[in-house]
Amino acid sequence: MAQDPNTTPANPADDSVADVVRGLMAGQVSRRAFIQRTTALGLTGGAITAILAACTPGTASTAPSSAASGAASGAESIAPSASGSAGSAYDPKKYAGTKLGILMTGDENDHRALGDKLAQLKDETGIELEITSPALGALIEKTLQNLKAPKSDYELINYLGFLTTQQVGGGFFEQLNSYIDDPAATAPDWDFADFAESNLKNVGIYDLANKKLGEGKDIYGIPALHSGSVVYFYRKDLFDAAGLKPAATWDEFKAAAEKLNSADVAGCSFIGANDFSLATVDWYTRFITTGGKLMTGSPATKDFKPNLNSPEAVGALQMLIDVLPFAPKNVTTYGFAENVDAFSTGKIAQMIFWSTIAGPVFNKENSKVADTTDVTPVPAAAGQTPRAILGGWGTGIPKNADPAKKPAAWHALQWITSKVMNNYFTEKYQIDASRDSTYIDPTLVSQLPYLPVAGQANAGAQTIETSILDDFFALNDVMNVEFNKALIGGQDAKTACANVQTQWEAMLRKAKVLT
Amino acid sequence: MGPMSARRLLPSRDVALLLGPCIAYLVAFSVFPLLYSLRISFTDLGASDATGNWIGLQNYADLLADPLFWNAAGNTAIMVSAAVTIQVVLGTALALFFNRHLRGAWIVRGALILPMLLTPIVVGVMWRALLNPDWGIVNWAIAQVGLGPINWLGSTEWAIRTLILVDVWQWTPFVFLIVFARLQSLPRDVFEAADVDGAGRLGMLTRITLPLVLPAIAFAAIFRAIDAFRSFDLVYGLSYGGPARSTTTLSFLAFQNGFQFQNYGYAAATAYVMVIALIVATTVLLRFVHVRRADAA
Repeated sequence: MAQDPNTTPANPADDSVADVVRGLMAGQVSRRAFIQRTTALGLTGGAITAILAACTPGTASTAPSSAASGAASGAESIAPSASGSAGSAYDPKKYAGTKLGILMTGDENDHRALGDKLAQLKDETGIELEITSPALGALIEKTLQNLKAPKSDYELINYLGFLTTQQVGGGFFEQLNSYIDDPAATAPDWDFADFAESNLKNVGIYDLANKKLGEGKDIYGIPALHSGSVVYFYRKDLFDAAGLKPAATWDEFKAAAEKLNSADVAGCSFIGANDFSLATVDWYTRFITTGGKLMTGSPATKDFKPNLNSPEAVGALQMLIDVLPFAPKNVTTYGFAENVDAFSTGKIAQMIFWSTIAGPVFNKENSKVADTTDVTPVPAAAGQTPRAILGGWGTGIPKNADPAKKPAAWHALQWITSKVMNNYFTEKYQIDASRDSTYIDPTLVSQLPYLPVAGQANAGAQTIETSILDDFFALNDVMNVEFNKALIGGQDAKTACANVQTQWEAMLRKAKVLT
Repeated sequence: MGPMSARRLLPSRDVALLLGPCIAYLVAFSVFPLLYSLRISFTDLGASDATGNWIGLQNYADLLADPLFWNAAGNTAIMVSAAVTIQVVLGTALALFFNRHLRGAWIVRGALILPMLLTPIVVGVMWRALLNPDWGIVNWAIAQVGLGPINWLGSTEWAIRTLILVDVWQWTPFVFLIVFARLQSLPRDVFEAADVDGAGRLGMLTRITLPLVLPAIAFAAIFRAIDAFRSFDLVYGLSYGGPARSTTTLSFLAFQNGFQFQNYGYAAATAYVMVIALIVATTVLLRFVHVRRADAA
């Protein structure tokens, strides 16, 4: 449904779209602002891509030079030119011969993507980096052991955004401001400002004195290797055939599910199993986009109280229960893999999901719906901004790492978080980038049309309020168990939410953040 | 040669040299971890704390007041009692059947013990695929005879049964093997005498065979009960404790608290309650077996 910027708009929304397109063509609107405005106006990823492609030459762009220069080629060097005046103090090979270790997640594709580039890192910097990548549970265990030991075995440690407060807030990571500000330590084209603000606030910025995530100016981690949030995937072909537009509200989502449901294709799907994403993706998105607020008060004042028995909380769960008849019949056993498989094989008409699954969904080799799927921002109630939970990882230098290797660790960290690397990870593995420029890189967008919408979701995503507590995973588990029980018919939505409220209050009292 | 004579033959320095490494190994790798985890169970050691604060018996008190603990204890009791009972009955029946020296039985016997050679985590993942409600072969097979579909792992009603079923599939061969080995070693003259005295097949089974193999059955049952009580990997691979905690066993609860939620103190207390329960149960069961053996003698 790409729109012709020269046609006369038929309604106020179209009028706004046309204005933004004219602004883009005239160079008065940047690419980033264009994407933000058009996604807010409801344009699909495909339409935005088509317009961007049509307007590419000679338009104003906020995409930094390296991103705009072309595709993220695997062989493209990220070492800055020695002739650059600002970079004259920066020596890419300053730490040649240093051996470093990184402890990172083995549950995602990040370790594979970085593994691809170790030889290039060695060629360009002379640094040898060894990857240790256990699964999440073991990673957390190993990370905590290292952070609390007299000396860390790793010079770089990758931590989940939900654990930033636990690990960065615990004072275990080196402050990075002095490295970032030092032209001799940081490549001139590294471009710190290019990192999405939401990601920096989620995993990088922390006020240690006041124990506040995302506040102040102190930086302890760099968003890496991936970030990302949740978008709305829908089958363009089915919607077009039924004369439907992608759902902008939850009522439209349900109506479309009912209309598109058939023996071969489920009208919608969601994470229905007792799975981390049941609460964090499907319930939480519906909850906050209908006006819900998960917590009130703060841990510091010991009045950190949950609102799980609010009408919005019950309503969000009820929405899931209401679409059960139009979901796959065994959706209550569907986790991440089941949904990706079912959508990719054409058995699901629409769902909201982590944008990172765009990789398999748009992969023409394995997906039957690569050409017939499009993405838009998640639905939201009238007056609410479409938004969802913010995911992703941060990477930092442990305070207790070998002091002699810390500068080299920073050298390697900025290398692996460069624009070229971000683009490579996205192009090769469809890893959700942490840099704004990657999401609007013209070459990447032409290959992966979902990127602008994913970027918009990433920029506007919300850090879940309970992630500032050590008990985050335990609290989330309670939600998943009770919500799953409601979905399989063991209790109603109100009872499930009341049960979560009771259990959370007890846990928060035990954690001494609620009196 | 008894221990007294060995002591006379070997100087105490040599005894120390011979036993020392073994004792050091046991202290380092068995005793110390046990004592260390016992200490942790008296602390609130969590994710943000390097050492944990001493809180005495608080974790144990919290545990006993925790409905999730009692839910897990109930699931564990159901799983152990049901699975072990079925395994003992089925394993003994199979052993008796294959003790009849049927032609080609060795091939079937070989195939029968294959499941117990697999790692439980592999068994869990494999059965999860076989029982997949959308494309699993089990639902397809039962649909061919007009039954199902069954939501094997998606309903609270069926999930615990499925867990028991898969445990039975994997470990019945173990009971079979133990009882079969005992059957093979039974003295023939007892059966010949009974035959001469006119004992029927049923009489020989109930009055001679079963009493003679009872110690082997008891051993297999106790061993399986201990193993099933600690069952973690099968739960992890098959159902991940769900749905709605209907298959969460004590081991899985300890895992969640320790490695998912980083409540190390609480997890250690859970593990110690399991250890205490196991010691008590095993002592009672072994005493029972001892009494039965004395009776049999």
